[in-house]
Amino acid sequence: MRLVTMEPKKCVGCRNCEYACSYNNNGTCDSKQSNIQVNFYPKEGVCIPLTCMHCDEAWCLNVCPAAAISRNEEGAVLVDQSRCAGCKMCMLACPYGNIHFDTAKQVSRKCNLCGDEEPNCVNHCIATALNYEEVEDMDAGRGAFDTIIVKKLQDGGDQ
Amino acid sequence: MADQNIVQSLCRMCDDHCGIHVYVEDNKLVDIQGNKDHPWNRGRLCIKGRAGVDMVNAKDRIRKPLKRTENGWEEISLEQALDEIAAKAKDIQGKYGDATMSVWKGEAIGFMQQEEIARRFIHAIGSPNYFSNNSECFVGRWIGYSLMYGRWNSQPDFENSKCILLWGANPAHAHPNMTQQINRGRENGAPLIVIDSRLSAMARQADYFVQLKPGTDGAFAWGLMRELIHNEWIDHEFVSKYTTGYDKIAAYASAFTHDYVAKECGIDAASLIPQIAKEMYQAAPAVINYVGNGLEHHENGINNIRAVACFDGLLAAVDAIGGNYSPVGFPLKELTLYHEKPLLDLKPIGRDRLPVLYDFRQECHTMTAMDTILSNDPYPLRGMIIVGANPVMTNPNAAKVIEAMKALDLLVVRDLFMSETAELAHYVLPAASYLERSEYHIHGGCQIIGLTPRAITPDPETQDEYQFFHDIAHRMGAGVYFPWKDEDALNEWLVSDSGVTAAEIAAHPSGYKYAEKKDRKFVEAMEQTGKAFNTPSGKLEFASTYLKDLGYEEIPEYIPPAFNVKEKRDYPYTLITGARKVMYLHGRNRNFDRLVTACPGPEIELHPKDAAALGLETGDTVKVTSRIGSIEIPVMVMHHKEIRQGVTQITHGWKEANVNFLTHDDRFDPIDGFPLMKAVEIKIEKV
Repeated sequence: MRLVTMEPKKCVGCRNCEYACSYNNNGTCDSKQSNIQVNFYPKEGVCIPLTCMHCDEAWCLNVCPAAAISRNEEGAVLVDQSRCAGCKMCMLACPYGNIHFDTAKQVSRKCNLCGDEEPNCVNHCIATALNYEEVEDMDAGRGAFDTIIVKKLQDGGDQ
Repeated sequence: MADQNIVQSLCRMCDDHCGIHVYVEDNKLVDIQGNKDHPWNRGRLCIKGRAGVDMVNAKDRIRKPLKRTENGWEEISLEQALDEIAAKAKDIQGKYGDATMSVWKGEAIGFMQQEEIARRFIHAIGSPNYFSNNSECFVGRWIGYSLMYGRWNSQPDFENSKCILLWGANPAHAHPNMTQQINRGRENGAPLIVIDSRLSAMARQADYFVQLKPGTDGAFAWGLMRELIHNEWIDHEFVSKYTTGYDKIAAYASAFTHDYVAKECGIDAASLIPQIAKEMYQAAPAVINYVGNGLEHHENGINNIRAVACFDGLLAAVDAIGGNYSPVGFPLKELTLYHEKPLLDLKPIGRDRLPVLYDFRQECHTMTAMDTILSNDPYPLRGMIIVGANPVMTNPNAAKVIEAMKALDLLVVRDLFMSETAELAHYVLPAASYLERSEYHIHGGCQIIGLTPRAITPDPETQDEYQFFHDIAHRMGAGVYFPWKDEDALNEWLVSDSGVTAAEIAAHPSGYKYAEKKDRKFVEAMEQTGKAFNTPSGKLEFASTYLKDLGYEEIPEYIPPAFNVKEKRDYPYTLITGARKVMYLHGRNRNFDRLVTACPGPEIELHPKDAAALGLETGDTVKVTSRIGSIEIPVMVMHHKEIRQGVTQITHGWKEANVNFLTHDDRFDPIDGFPLMKAVEIKIEKV
């Protein structure tokens, strides 16, 4: 399936992706309202963009007691906010912290790949660190991604 | 069902002109997305590009001509406004002389033709006094490089580069889609070297980050030159055939030892200089040294820039693929009237004091303009028409700018919004946005030209740039210089020598390619004309006899910034101003509710040790004072790697804390007159 892929080696932490996601979600550019989050760790010198990877084995989907999380025909993992009870189990289940809480609606929110449109985070990524592309084996790509992060964090930066 | 159109155009929310798709419903702008076919941005767009929607549709846009009266602003008709402005301008010229009227161009409206139209107008009515934001932006780099080899390319060949050095530049915020080009260069193996006092967005991906003290870039550049020369890592064949003054810079460079550079710049020079010099040597000639605005706002700015420009000569990176490639230009006809109307005898303001700025760019000096308005010396400057500029927010010494603007007999501001400068005007006129007018955009880097369409029809009294100056010129008896009936007729004329028509260009919304890439053009030029470069000697000039004749040092000597040599007791901290935010452009966009949610307000960036010493935490308010003024502003404590200890930063453009109440208009680079805005001595007190 087509997914939003993330290359930490290209990300400069400009946050255009966050602003764009928020723009689409609620008409603001408030980073806190975005489903993609970029973290910059100055000590280690690493930028990590993170958004839902629509895992093959989606722990959020499996744990949801309201059956509000499902997978569509294309493979995207989606939250049906009209069914969500706001229990936050999915947030606890996601190992990447990619599910967020909509404090106004008191329900979960996450990346839905922008539905019929191309993902806005990708269209606004001026560094081309984000791409919307066909991924055969997301786990392999994600593995490489994780290795970079783990190494950087283990090295602990140069100071 | 509403009638929805997708209009292909080019963004003008900054000067990058990204390809965009504009979604219009019933003449109303609905959305903006990137154009995937455009070679510059390949479909990607920063958030302010999208927020063009908020600019064009803004509720607070000026839609009627306004006149200042005793009872506040009064809406008047466009005809009345134009009649009165023309009559008052003529009256001023009759009383005090033609040169006492002036024009000032900003960046808010679109400026590829705007600049030349403004120049044409002011010259047509007999005044040499053209001012612009370029007294403090872009032109310092342009002149620095032009002194060395006759031109400056602001869009180097990143994708083919083997080594990229960014000096005081943060493209991720200032030229967003340059970031993807730099990343393509990095993917091809180019190391990224960022030289900056702040850990900028771009520096987050740097292979080498040189976090030097503000304004000491020249010392670092000379240190690298010494290393290159000492190791024989230079292109002697190029140097002997195409340059002059090599012996002089080789002798001068010898003093820039690792120890000196380490002390002057505050960096580990002994480690950094050999490594970086080697990277440059190995990559030559595919080495890019790209200079940003960070080097311009210093008292030794232009020579620091020239010192960096020396690498293009030493490494033969000038006009090289993957280096500082010089694009082939497009032959647009010139709108200026320099040949028809000689201006030098009319005493352009600032020219006596800063001949280089005027000789190279025909720019009058805005800082001198403020003094002239207030002193009538050397002659009165009584009237000013400002288009798309907001000097109250963007020029140094804002208090003096306000005083000067208020002292004018006639101040006209054309803008989309009631800016801080417009609030001081006698007349404020609504201006068409970039989606409501039609103009050419040239991407030198891609060697393409585009012609933007009017995606939406503006309000009846909202004029485009040409129409306004046309109408005023005709009322002032200078109509002969504005013969084209409208913008479209002007656009036809502008390309009439180029062999391509406006319609053909317009038919290529992703850019009409006017030339193929051709590097090393200086070789042919040397063979055909004996002049490789557009300099007095025809060679790349490490030493400038032109500068020497004017009484300046001929080589780009290094003079340490004042804060680095003086006693620091009264003003112990060094303030950088003007670091870019991706959602804003200079003084603009703070009135868009949506963008403000991304970056809600001004702040002073502090090193954690400085914050601790002052007893400050993020969110506290401080009073910041320079020799000329004070502002109050919230604190943002940075990570210790993000800013140097003792160095602080405030981004300009916030009316809540206008940092230009602190910046100096009387301390500037002696060659180009650029003000000191990035090494201002300050003190900080908790409020």
